[in-house]
Amino acid sequence: MSDIPFTGRAGPEASEQGAVAIFERHRAELRASRRVWNILGLAAFAICVALSINISGFFPERLATGVPRIAEYFATIMPDLSWDVLFAGRTEDGRAVAGSITYWYTDFWTYIELLWETILMAMTASLIGSAVAFVLSFPAAANLAPNGWVYWFSRRFLELCRGIPEILLALIFVFMIGIGPLAGVIAIAIHTAGALGKLFAEVNENASERPVEGITAVGGSWPAKMLYGVVPQVAPNFFSYAILRFEINVRASSIIGFVGAGGIGQELNRVISFYSDDRVAAVLILVVLMVTVIDLISENIRHRFIGKENF
Amino acid sequence: MLKLERLTRRFGDNTAVAAATLEIPDGQMVGIIGRSGAGKSTLLRLLNRLIDPSDGHILFGDKDIAQLKGRELRRWRSDCAMIFQQFNLVGRLDVITNVLTGRLYELPAWRAMGQIFTPRERAFAIEALDRLGMAHTALQKAETLSGGQQQRVAIARALAQEPKILLADEPIASLDPMNAKIVMDALRSINQQDGITVICNLHTLDTARNYCDRIIGMQGGRIVFDGTPDLLTTDMAREIYGAEADEAFNEAATSTTLPPRKSPANEGAVHV
Repeated sequence: MSDIPFTGRAGPEASEQGAVAIFERHRAELRASRRVWNILGLAAFAICVALSINISGFFPERLATGVPRIAEYFATIMPDLSWDVLFAGRTEDGRAVAGSITYWYTDFWTYIELLWETILMAMTASLIGSAVAFVLSFPAAANLAPNGWVYWFSRRFLELCRGIPEILLALIFVFMIGIGPLAGVIAIAIHTAGALGKLFAEVNENASERPVEGITAVGGSWPAKMLYGVVPQVAPNFFSYAILRFEINVRASSIIGFVGAGGIGQELNRVISFYSDDRVAAVLILVVLMVTVIDLISENIRHRFIGKENF
Repeated sequence: MLKLERLTRRFGDNTAVAAATLEIPDGQMVGIIGRSGAGKSTLLRLLNRLIDPSDGHILFGDKDIAQLKGRELRRWRSDCAMIFQQFNLVGRLDVITNVLTGRLYELPAWRAMGQIFTPRERAFAIEALDRLGMAHTALQKAETLSGGQQQRVAIARALAQEPKILLADEPIASLDPMNAKIVMDALRSINQQDGITVICNLHTLDTARNYCDRIIGMQGGRIVFDGTPDLLTTDMAREIYGAEADEAFNEAATSTTLPPRKSPANEGAVHV
């Protein structure tokens, strides 16, 4: 038989000593092997950082000379406002006085219309994208997929959807169906489906198997197992991720207009390319305001929802 | 009549159920006993095909259950309800919807996907819940209930299936003695009043003795005992349970037998 008794009764002190010695030896071995890997990992990381600094030219003196130019750029896009006429309305013949806010924001209602279009684009794209992501997240979850093929194809399809940059997709769709918000909506929806589909699938993989087994045992079909066994568990998380994605999509849809796919980006692109510098500032301020407001609202909704569901 | 013929399930090199041959007449209440890992759970899961057999046959009427696929298999599962140790309810759904899922096999797909149930189906589900004394919880989320209450909802879900056979995999192992008694009483009365065959995995000996017409003992995947409770001698039981005998025989800790004189023991009992 072995030297160390199975129970501690035969020789408590001897066995304790043995167990402690064995434990200490194992611990030392484990720490030694981990140390090697830690040092290797750290070295690899340091090399990567050095390479990326070198390739991107991230040097202090370049930054030092570059930073003041940011201020220069902002100086050029600042409007010429003057205090005495700042709040002056339009004159009798309908002209705005130079130097007034009315003059600076001559196209205010056009901007608002485009911002509204931007938000609507983000909403539509988020809805369509979430719907596709919802459907595909079940076959794309390793624990739920009915078979390996379906899993493989849905995973690859989602990767394809999120792998192509939105702006590239938008270019393709502008070419296909013409300039306008539809191209932008489709482009963002495809990207959303890919990105959310992966997140949803990961939420599904963390869902408890027990309710699913319960629905299997009553004779439920695969869709019934998903709808009754999985969806109630994952719905709050899905909702939260979808709202977060909507926030991201508002930002995406204000950029996507640069390639003619609708929204405020189209106007931003126009004022930049016409060197209407003060109008660039006018549009930018509104975009930042819109994004901030949307973020605040959606954050509020998400927290309230998650709080209610005790996540 | 449910017939098993040399039913076998292997997991790699390990044989969980080895050539089980059994005949269970309709309407019997059968208890399967044995220590942890004896293959009780695997045997039960083979019966409703949550696990596929490696070998052998399961015959019910003239059908070989082991060969069923697709819709036929789902039909068998709906005929052969199962109750789990951990209840396996959908915690975030309300109790009534959990019970209504027992009707899923009968529902056309569009109604199942829309969660559209008829007033008649709802009434049926409420009656099933009422039999278990749980109708008042119908609109609560299942996860808000205690373990014993969840198990009663799970039994109501099984009743909603209108099953021919009811399988129960350690139905009382997670419950305190009083709830264990309520659940076992409910299973017994379903067996006696509805004539449904009940096959029940039990860890403790006295519960099996008290409630079952017939006891099957398993050891290392094999059936080593099959007979009425009075044929099960203490020596036989010790052999079945091996090292776990003391635990299985410790009736105070793990059984449905309530300690005497502890005021109205039947207060929470359900007269099904």
